[in-house]
Amino acid sequence: MPRVLQPFEYLEPRSAAEATRILADYGTRAKAMAGGVDLLPRIRQRKICPEVIVSIQNIPGLDSIKEERGQLRIGALVTLHTAELDRLIKERYTALHEAVHHLASVQVKTMATLVGNLCVATPASDMAAALFVLGASLVVVSPDKERAIPIEQFFLKPGQTALQPGELVTEIVVPAPAPDSGSAFLKLVRTAADIAKVNAAVCLTVDGDACKEARIALGSVAPTTIRAPRAEAAIKGQKLTGDTIQAAARAAEAESRPITDVRSNADYRREMSGLLVGRAIKIAFQRARGQHE
Amino acid sequence: MSKQIVRLSVNGSNHELLLEPQMTLLQALRDELGLTGTKYGCGVCECGACTVLVDGKPVLACSILAISVRDKDILTIEGLAGNGNLHPIQQAFIDYGAIQCGFCTPGMILSSKALLDENPRPSRQEVKEWLAGNLCRCTGYVKIIEAVMAASETMVKGGSHGK
Amino acid sequence: MASELAVVGKRLTRPDVAAKATGSALYTTDMTLPGMLTAAVLRSPHAHARIVKIDTSRAAKLPGVMAVLTTRDVPDKLFNMGTSELLIIKKEHLIADQHVLNNPVRYAGEAVAAVAAVDEATAQAALELIEVEYEVLPAVFDPLEAIKPGAPRVHDFAGNNIAQHLSHPYVSGDVEKGFRESDAVIEGTFTTSKQKTAPLEPASCVASFDANGRVTVWSPAQRPFLARRRLGEAFDIPEGKIRWITPLIGGGFGNGASLRAEPICVALAQKTRRPVKLEYSREEQFVATETRTRFVQMVKLGVKKDGTMIALQTRVIADAGAYFSATGSITGVNMAYLLGLYRVPNTAGQADIVYTNTTPSGAVRGYGNPEGMFALEQVVDMAAEKIGMDPMELRLKNHRTTGEPSRSPSITIESCRLAECMQLGAEKIGWKEKRATRNKAGIKRRGLGMAVTTHNAGSFPRMLDYTNATIKLNEDGSANLTAGCCELGQGITGVVSQIAAEALGMHAQDIVVYAGDTDVNEFDAGCVGSRATYNIGNAVVRAASEAKQKLLERAAKMLEAEPGELEAREGRVFFKVAPDKGITIAEVAKDAIYNFKGDAGQISGHCSWEAKWNTPAFEAVFAEVEVDTETGEVRVIKVAQAHDIGRAINPLTVEGQLEGSIMQGMGWALTEDFAVNSKGILESDNFTSYKIPSSMDIPETEVLLVEYPIESGPFGAKSVGECGVNAIAPAIANAISDATGIRLFELPMNPERVLHALHRKEAGGLSY
Repeated sequence: MPRVLQPFEYLEPRSAAEATRILADYGTRAKAMAGGVDLLPRIRQRKICPEVIVSIQNIPGLDSIKEERGQLRIGALVTLHTAELDRLIKERYTALHEAVHHLASVQVKTMATLVGNLCVATPASDMAAALFVLGASLVVVSPDKERAIPIEQFFLKPGQTALQPGELVTEIVVPAPAPDSGSAFLKLVRTAADIAKVNAAVCLTVDGDACKEARIALGSVAPTTIRAPRAEAAIKGQKLTGDTIQAAARAAEAESRPITDVRSNADYRREMSGLLVGRAIKIAFQRARGQHE
Repeated sequence: MSKQIVRLSVNGSNHELLLEPQMTLLQALRDELGLTGTKYGCGVCECGACTVLVDGKPVLACSILAISVRDKDILTIEGLAGNGNLHPIQQAFIDYGAIQCGFCTPGMILSSKALLDENPRPSRQEVKEWLAGNLCRCTGYVKIIEAVMAASETMVKGGSHGK
Repeated sequence: MASELAVVGKRLTRPDVAAKATGSALYTTDMTLPGMLTAAVLRSPHAHARIVKIDTSRAAKLPGVMAVLTTRDVPDKLFNMGTSELLIIKKEHLIADQHVLNNPVRYAGEAVAAVAAVDEATAQAALELIEVEYEVLPAVFDPLEAIKPGAPRVHDFAGNNIAQHLSHPYVSGDVEKGFRESDAVIEGTFTTSKQKTAPLEPASCVASFDANGRVTVWSPAQRPFLARRRLGEAFDIPEGKIRWITPLIGGGFGNGASLRAEPICVALAQKTRRPVKLEYSREEQFVATETRTRFVQMVKLGVKKDGTMIALQTRVIADAGAYFSATGSITGVNMAYLLGLYRVPNTAGQADIVYTNTTPSGAVRGYGNPEGMFALEQVVDMAAEKIGMDPMELRLKNHRTTGEPSRSPSITIESCRLAECMQLGAEKIGWKEKRATRNKAGIKRRGLGMAVTTHNAGSFPRMLDYTNATIKLNEDGSANLTAGCCELGQGITGVVSQIAAEALGMHAQDIVVYAGDTDVNEFDAGCVGSRATYNIGNAVVRAASEAKQKLLERAAKMLEAEPGELEAREGRVFFKVAPDKGITIAEVAKDAIYNFKGDAGQISGHCSWEAKWNTPAFEAVFAEVEVDTETGEVRVIKVAQAHDIGRAINPLTVEGQLEGSIMQGMGWALTEDFAVNSKGILESDNFTSYKIPSSMDIPETEVLLVEYPIESGPFGAKSVGECGVNAIAPAIANAISDATGIRLFELPMNPERVLHALHRKEAGGLSY
């Protein structure tokens, strides 16, 4: 395996419009790059060989986290480190904070961006699972239009997103959490600094002991991050008891479609899908109630 | 691919280099500038041996293009000791037995510097969390963590915080 | 007595660390020579394949390519990449089974061809232009599959893929009779994994021929003299025509006991007549350097009701991988420790060393001993449980101790403080209290486990253990010491400078150490086998003592006294009866050179030292774990490790060795897995997929040094390099068992295996 990168051209557009024009011109021969922590190692390993790298690092206006009209907007150049330190995310978008926080390497967090992580389209993305349950969508621009893609429609298969040639993600938009809601993120890893074997995120809206709304997502157990609708249905409108949580856990297990790979095996992942969902429901429930009180 | 003139500011000195765009910062530092303190360890952003500070932030030189950090302030291990005086973190690593084979040491020290710049009085747990992206195969990290705690103490007391 | 030591026993700063802290330390990878070319290696995508045709013409024509190397260009001579066999007194282990480039290739990732070019990018581009036609051959990856009739054959000469059969040489009694007379017999089969040493520095080499045909090789080899001889054998170059320089090593752990990048690098330098550098990528370091040996070990122990061990048997399948390297001697060592830790009257050991189409195994810290302890020390716990005895009591009752034969029966144990290690470790972990009160219900359960071990200092008497040391004093009172101590990071240069300083009466910082250069140093067997402090130290103390004698004689002339009236300490020579009356060593050393009275004679000392004894270190490890019974996750909370060190020359260094051992042992125990897929392709080929512990994964550690200086070691020192890694995995395994009642027979003990075992236990299956 080489230690050096395959040759490519490097472009640094100064605006999103310029970037999308370049991306449209080169089509699949070009790759957009933010932090590069995933892209450059894969170029070195000859897994991909783009002719052109389009760095978005100098596009103004993409590096902030702001709250606008009750929505959280995270720019495409916001790093994981910035997101981790963000008070608003920590206080209100708990699952997202936890997903970012449990990613261990500070250097990776300094370099990598949230949007970049999503664009890698790994089924193990911790951030994706959290953003699934928080109901996020992605703002995507192209030379001639802008559109929003709900995050659940963003991932097609491992390594493949719904982005068309010429499209660039500029922002993640996360709606304000509902009152009386709480979220949690959990994952299982081999060592602290590892990609998840299984991850789970849960966001609940509660009314006393009952669950009004539930969103549950699982990662690393299917070709993309998935929602677990039957698990959600098992608790939605129900009192959260040991039994209903157990039912949700079992449904989540059934909804997972894991494979065996170097990190874990399918049986373990399936069983852990349920377990993590059950544990995350309990934590999210506590948080939702805590906020209520 | 065509070479371009890339200006790098490393350890306070400006350099003009003729680089191909796929040249990593690690290659530029080691092969072009002879700054071999920054090490290649894995090439996949896992081991931290190539950690340098760009505008004070710890990044991995193996997976960052040299051209993308032109005109930014780059600090490598060679630039840490000022006027022949070791930085308190370097001194603590030496005094506390935190160095064995030394291959992870430059990255480990620079990561520690970034930590203490951001959080001058970290807890032991915070040190452990911060250094999770710097692998060491010799020490078991015990004396490294002790050294960072000790350096924090020295720097807070001595007011020698910062660069 | 101890208070009389001025330098030894002090937590001094090592001479190598200032350069390492400032980035000026030079490793092989940092070397550059004028006109140097860069090499790259084409590797096989198949686990077993014959190269039918290889077309290098397009690669050779690429501008900037200076040479392309294929099997046609390498010597038609078999050799062995490992170096241990060169020192084995009985030659039964010797097997030479590989060329510099082989056809057929026998594991995925094996070198097929190589290129030297003006830079790395050109070399890589050239590799992509080499066209290879392979005939894919059937392959086998599991040693138990490999020995079945009809399994694919890895080497023609090895029927059933068995490279070698070994009987343990020190069997005793009648093991079958022993089992018949036992009150309890415990048996288990334990499988260990192909751990990678994973030094942070990947393998690298620079080779350069001079106009006279002499080659200089720079590489992080742990045994420069033996590496030189191996290389010479492979290329038919006499030793004197090779200068081998080992610069600072970025982590050894045994990997540098075998050749790695050197043969290909030297072949390219020979072909191009230009300096060539070959640096492995991390992926190459994983796939193409030797691993720990996978052992499948059946271990059977018979005990009496009172805890007396009376029979112990092991049957071992050792997976050599694709080439033999040092697996023979590793397997011998494995059986020797397994059968030699306890006092058992009836023992037997048999082993088959088996080829598979996987990365070769070779020397890794512990050299077969940790693998044996993973099996033995669990079986001992299982026996204790069966007869209702505290596992520590059982060990205290049976371990070999002072005055008894060591694992090499011709060597009597000079000093064993294992009982004290156990007592001290037990106290620090809270063995009695916690085992009595620990929570065995709930989701998260805690448990305590222990294991003990021993490890020799060097390989005497089974192998030649030879070294040399020379010290000379400069006119300013400093000294140069040449000794065989390659600096792997273990701190040996500091250790020998402290030993020499103590023996000569100097300050350690006034001694400059030279090691690892075969033109400058005299022969040494290398920094392997936990031999350096004990054996190199023994040479250094004698060389320094000889120099001290000359120092005192000259000082006596200068002071008009008798040498016997004088003593040297901390840079001064003085009268024993009047310590404030004397002169500096610098004054004496200057007189020895700038004499002007016809009496010049630079002060020096030399020692040529062949090991005459081998006193093992002992160690007790205690681990506390918490098992999440729903996820199978094991968190190691604390490890207390008590080590019988004789004397710690530098306690800071000894602690560092042990703390690092705990981490490596824990990684091997829990997470590190050399995972090969169904086609034999390595899946865990970088730190993303092969997980070594990070700073967040380490437990609280308590390293305890039990110091009783021994006669045969320098200033009483024993060894420490490998012992620390031996007993970590079994201590953790025993703690998991204590917490949950499950027994794990295979490494790594990952959550998947733990949970599977927990489910089997719940389902009413036998826990073991």
